[in-house]
Amino acid sequence: MNIRRLTELALLSSVALIIFVIELRIPNPFPIPGVKLGLANIVTVCAVFRYRPSETAMIVTVRLLLGAMFSGNPSALLYSAAGAVACLCGMLLLRRILPEQQIWLCSVIGAMLHNVGQITAAVIMMQSFGVIAYLPILLVTGSLAGAFTGLCAQLVLHRIKR
Amino acid sequence: MKNRKILIAAILVFLVSVCLSVFILRHSDKQIIEIVQDGELLYTFDLNDAEDRVIRISAPDGGYNLVQIQNGTICISEADCPDQTCVNTGVLKSDYLPIVCLPHKLIVRFAEEES
Repeated sequence: MNIRRLTELALLSSVALIIFVIELRIPNPFPIPGVKLGLANIVTVCAVFRYRPSETAMIVTVRLLLGAMFSGNPSALLYSAAGAVACLCGMLLLRRILPEQQIWLCSVIGAMLHNVGQITAAVIMMQSFGVIAYLPILLVTGSLAGAFTGLCAQLVLHRIKR
Repeated sequence: MKNRKILIAAILVFLVSVCLSVFILRHSDKQIIEIVQDGELLYTFDLNDAEDRVIRISAPDGGYNLVQIQNGTICISEADCPDQTCVNTGVLKSDYLPIVCLPHKLIVRFAEEES
């Protein structure tokens, strides 16, 4: 990996982290834990379509670890990590199939997989299936948020290309 | 062709979740409340007959939750846990989404009705 590449990845990671920290400041109108916009995933989606899988994984790992530290909530790391792994695997596979115009769809499915991963982690952690009741609600809000972040990423990628 | 299948699958999952969410968020018609801490049933009462009051529940680690009963509704009004999820959950409405305070292992929920 050359210096230019490394710098780009570092820059993207910090952009993702900044967006993540700013989003923490936005009050959440929904009282359900786990519901959020996930604006930082704009960067993830962009990276999935622009960089190699290993490079994307690096960006996401850095953002997850530093994000957990910056938000002062390391116990949430487990859930977000499980979600991120599921989301990333799905999106990297979908990248091969979906054309540029359907980046938003990739993001929606990524968001759904993220929620499934989160809930799976929660079920294992709490050893009860009661938390599955949150899954449909998370899927609805998650795919709406995913469509939004995906569209943002699509616009950004479109502009970077030109 | 493959794209279309993925799109349709995503839409299906979305619609099914919308239906399930409506079902899950539906207000409960049950009245019996259970307050459980660490698997142990602390209180159980009928929400309609309960008079307005605040119950203080101490956690084993020295923390506390204040459970508030008002006009036939129940919520956790105050807690000294770090995440405050239980307070933010608000009033207990649904059968499927109990008020949970994970740090204090406290659950406020509707009881299963006895047949």
